[in-house]
Amino acid sequence: MDFIVHPVLLFVALAVCGVGVALSIPRRRFHAGLIGGIIAATGVGILITALGAASLADGSPLPNLFFHGLAIIALGSCLQVITHRRPVYAALYFILSILSTAGLYILLAAEFMAFALVIIYAGAILITYLFVIMLASQSRVEDEEEGISEYDAIGRGPVTATIVSFALLATLTVMMFGGIREISPPGAAQVAQAETVVLQRLPGKVEKALTREGLMNPGESVAGVERTEAGVFATVESADGGTRQVALPETLTPTNTEGLAFNLLGEYPGTIEIAGVILLMAMLGAVVLARKFAQIDEEAKATAAAALAEGRADAIGTLGADVGNGGGATSDG
Amino acid sequence: MVDLLLAQSAFPEAMSQHVLAHYLFVSAAMFTIGLVGFLTRRNLIIMFLCTEMMFQAAGIALIAFSRFHLNYEGQTFVIFVLTVAAAEAALALALVVFLFRKRDSLSAEAWAEMKG
Amino acid sequence: MTMLSMPLGALSNLVAAADGPYIATGEAPQWVALIPALPLLGAVLCLICACLNVKNKAPGYLTVGLLAGSFVTTLVAFLGGTDNYGVATIFRWIHASIGADSGTSLVSNFAFYFDGLSMLWMLFVTGLATVIGLYSSEYMSGDKGLGYCRFFFAFNVFVFSMSCLVMADNLLLLFLGWEGVGLCSYLLIGYYYKKPEAVAAAKKAFIINRIGDLGLLMAIGATFVVFGTVELRPLFEMIAAGIDANGEAIGGTWAVVVIPLLLTAGAFGKSAQLFFYVWLPDAMEGPTPVSALIHAATMVTAGVYLIARMFPLYAADDAMIALTVVAWAGAITAFWAATIEFAQYDIKRIMGYSTISQLGFMFAGLGLLGTTGAVFHVFTHAFFKATLFLCCGAVMHGFGGQLSLRRLSGVMWMKGFGITAVCMLIGCLSLSGVPFTAGYFSKDMILAQAFATPGDMIGGAYFIGLLLLLTAAMTAYYTFRVFFRVFVGPKYFEPGDDDHGDDHGDDHGDDHSHAHDAAKEEPGDALHTGFHPHAPGWAMNTAMVLLAVGTIVIASLYFVNKKEDHGWAGTMVKYSSAAYASPGLGHKGDGEKKDEAVGLLPADAEAGAVMPVSLVAEGVVADEDATAKASGTLFGYDPFKIMYYVSAVLGLIGIIAAAWFHGPKGLAGLGIGNRVEPAKVRMDAVAARFGPIPRWAENKWYVDELYHIVFVKVLLVSSHIYHAIDKLVIDGIVDLLGSLPRWLGSLLRPSQSGVLHSYATGMVAGSAVLVALIVLVALL
Repeated sequence: MDFIVHPVLLFVALAVCGVGVALSIPRRRFHAGLIGGIIAATGVGILITALGAASLADGSPLPNLFFHGLAIIALGSCLQVITHRRPVYAALYFILSILSTAGLYILLAAEFMAFALVIIYAGAILITYLFVIMLASQSRVEDEEEGISEYDAIGRGPVTATIVSFALLATLTVMMFGGIREISPPGAAQVAQAETVVLQRLPGKVEKALTREGLMNPGESVAGVERTEAGVFATVESADGGTRQVALPETLTPTNTEGLAFNLLGEYPGTIEIAGVILLMAMLGAVVLARKFAQIDEEAKATAAAALAEGRADAIGTLGADVGNGGGATSDG
Repeated sequence: MVDLLLAQSAFPEAMSQHVLAHYLFVSAAMFTIGLVGFLTRRNLIIMFLCTEMMFQAAGIALIAFSRFHLNYEGQTFVIFVLTVAAAEAALALALVVFLFRKRDSLSAEAWAEMKG
Repeated sequence: MTMLSMPLGALSNLVAAADGPYIATGEAPQWVALIPALPLLGAVLCLICACLNVKNKAPGYLTVGLLAGSFVTTLVAFLGGTDNYGVATIFRWIHASIGADSGTSLVSNFAFYFDGLSMLWMLFVTGLATVIGLYSSEYMSGDKGLGYCRFFFAFNVFVFSMSCLVMADNLLLLFLGWEGVGLCSYLLIGYYYKKPEAVAAAKKAFIINRIGDLGLLMAIGATFVVFGTVELRPLFEMIAAGIDANGEAIGGTWAVVVIPLLLTAGAFGKSAQLFFYVWLPDAMEGPTPVSALIHAATMVTAGVYLIARMFPLYAADDAMIALTVVAWAGAITAFWAATIEFAQYDIKRIMGYSTISQLGFMFAGLGLLGTTGAVFHVFTHAFFKATLFLCCGAVMHGFGGQLSLRRLSGVMWMKGFGITAVCMLIGCLSLSGVPFTAGYFSKDMILAQAFATPGDMIGGAYFIGLLLLLTAAMTAYYTFRVFFRVFVGPKYFEPGDDDHGDDHGDDHGDDHSHAHDAAKEEPGDALHTGFHPHAPGWAMNTAMVLLAVGTIVIASLYFVNKKEDHGWAGTMVKYSSAAYASPGLGHKGDGEKKDEAVGLLPADAEAGAVMPVSLVAEGVVADEDATAKASGTLFGYDPFKIMYYVSAVLGLIGIIAAAWFHGPKGLAGLGIGNRVEPAKVRMDAVAARFGPIPRWAENKWYVDELYHIVFVKVLLVSSHIYHAIDKLVIDGIVDLLGSLPRWLGSLLRPSQSGVLHSYATGMVAGSAVLVALIVLVALL
């Protein structure tokens, strides 16, 4: 196998990284978040450097600086998520990591996904998390320091967890770096063909672009798009039924959203339905699970009924208080 | 530099294997961090947060491959991953609230006994 | 068939065409199925009665009626004569192919085989069952209700099983009946299931019988292996031809020795012979009618029946090994049981031992080749022993379960016991072999046979004869010991502690209650106010009288066909598988039998010894002398003639001895007065001189204790050992096997902490290993 990073170097770097992560996990006495972070960053840095060196050696371009910056922010904030003792901060750091991940998505030319990620994850899911954290985190335990729960303050078996997880990472990266050269990117012709396929589905877009460029007269319409040796041509149909070939301008390319939309709705309509049903079920489940179970005992009910019969309005208030107590009783059980 | 960022199009030039390797490494590292977090943190909410992190890492890998192969399948899958993550978050958080009411604690170890 | 090829020389022309033992080749009428069917119906009706919770005597009378029907059917079949002899197939039962290629198949129909033997047996089985059923209907009335139904249910099933046993056309059906009677015996011995002794006795009988049954079962298996059939007719045909299933000669093979010996084991178990006898005395714990019917008259003679039925197979052995064993075992058992009786005080037990002793006579008779005598003795014994038991039962019933010789006296003079005493006397006379009683004739035949049979046929026949003679005298003595002590003498009784006879108010009605009031008037009763002996009612008296009369009447059967067949029993035996030319007693007019006897013997000395028998039987020439020379003699006379006198003298000696030692002292003792304490007899003083021997005899020579040590204790100890082995070794291995996973589990148990993290950690580690494996595979 042809490794782009030597396995020994890989393992050493991962070991350093693992030590850093293990150090930064919160524990009872010794918590070296910063030092651990630095060590972990060193490990990651070694690997990134090695990867970059390998790229240069092979004459391939390095990923741009934005990648490095965003990757460091993403990984760093992820490390903060798992090491920070306060859940609210962890959630906020997670939002940061989502944002930087969205940046990476943009670098990968997936603008729609980047914004979807920010909107869905950062905007919806993580906000829900924050709400739940605030709902559930008011710890009632006495012996906590600085309002941090014991289970937040101390990690569980950081060393074992780190060893196991980094063993998995090691195997994954070995596989990845060993096999990365065996996959090849698509050729330019293939790319162009894929582009044409999308454009064929967008006659309106082609029409608009041609009209803007003045290549098409009003009253004419685009009958089809096809790719030849010379380039990409649109078949333009005039009002009288005659057709002519028009070369498309270089700037006319389908956007990411358009391509994704055709892929998603054209190839996976059933899956979308299923996803919708799953979301509906999850919503129902969440409603059912999170509901407070009001227990109104028969006696209270009878009292309230009697009071109502007598026309006393305060009886309803009594009943309401019972509902609250009933909820508490349920949680005790 | 700005040009590099803004000149992105849906069908840019093909990405090299080395760049893919960078992205994949970031994805794997994020996944591992999520894993470590899941294994070490005892707060149920943080643990779920870590699973979300692992989803996200998977998303990076999927989109990187999508970019590498210049098709949209990976991105489509990330949409579904997001769907599942959202559904999971909804249910998991509801469960967390439910469990918290029962035990007054978010610790996963509070639910360690195997009876009943 | 093959016999004529034997070197008979010139004599062969004197012998009629030989055809082996009598084989019933005809068709028996189908209606003989009524004989077992009626008791079966009775059993069902008794069950229905039990379900309906019938509280009166209906089950008893139903039973008697149905059994009477059964008896009448048998009688009709009997009056039909030899025309009815044959096989009646009621339905197909077992038809199984054994092996696809061999062509052998096990055929066992529910079919009845009728010949003289089964006819004779059925006559007394159904007849006695009817009479004893009548007796039981009164005797058991203390238990009216479920117990009554239960009793008569078992009673009926017993008669059904016994019919199947006796009339079986094949050995499997015979075995079915055999087990059926065993089961009923068990049920009826344990009838008083709240009495520990009864339960123990039932178990003992059942278990000891099982040992013998194993022999029978093995014998059946061996028979099938050798002859390829278990049906009697083909079996007898093959034996008569002297061949087995493959057409090879059976003479001198293991089959003719081992199968009879196994059969003998079964017979000994059922008939309480030799080592197996111990269950029979204990079986007397059952109700007396049961003792009378099952454990004296019918079931215990099943062993005799089995040997008589399979007699051709026994006789097929030139060396007569099995028959010698049977003869000696019978004689020894007869003597052994008689010695025990000398010191027994429980009258039912005495009768039990007497049964063992008499069964010993029968086996000895069979073993000595005297099938006629043995079968006749079975018949007479059934009558007189049933009579004796019924009389004992009447006494026991009347005196609250009192059975001890020492606590009863002068019963004869008590009101209402006259009939009992007379019947008892008749039974005792017959058992003792007083001249012109049934027992006298039948026993004589056996005794004489012992001397008539040459010693080179049955080893030590002469000594068997002497032993049997001694036993005969002892029999007379112990029989009349009971009679003199219980029935004669001054009136005295102590009621037994068993009060089951006391609640007979409804039977005896006001009569009983009056007697109760008047109890104090009887001086002998002064000590036991509140108890009054109640005399047997009409049903019991009728049954006893019927049997006593029967006992007298059947003596005359000895003279039926006397010239031709040596009595009625001889006629019956002649037309049965037990037909055999007994030495010195050849059956006249059935030449085939003698031929067989000749044919089965090696052609040298024995042939010479037996051939004259055939001559005599044929009534040819020089009959008396030839017989006397060929068969043994007693004091130089024909044993069959002189035995009349010898046994009469011995019997009388026994009776006189009993009268002297146990009878009342002087004529005054016969007085009808009352006593307040048990009578003293001379024997008490005599017994004192023998030191501990009487006590040993009273304790049955400690055989039960010996068995307890040899078998029960050994079994217990060995079962403890096995238990220990099981615990330590087997369980140890199993525990070890079990503890290994447990130990492994204990290693792994901490992993099942219930904590999510540890599971997740394991999962991650597992995936890491999995991916590592994939990488390694890719690398390599």
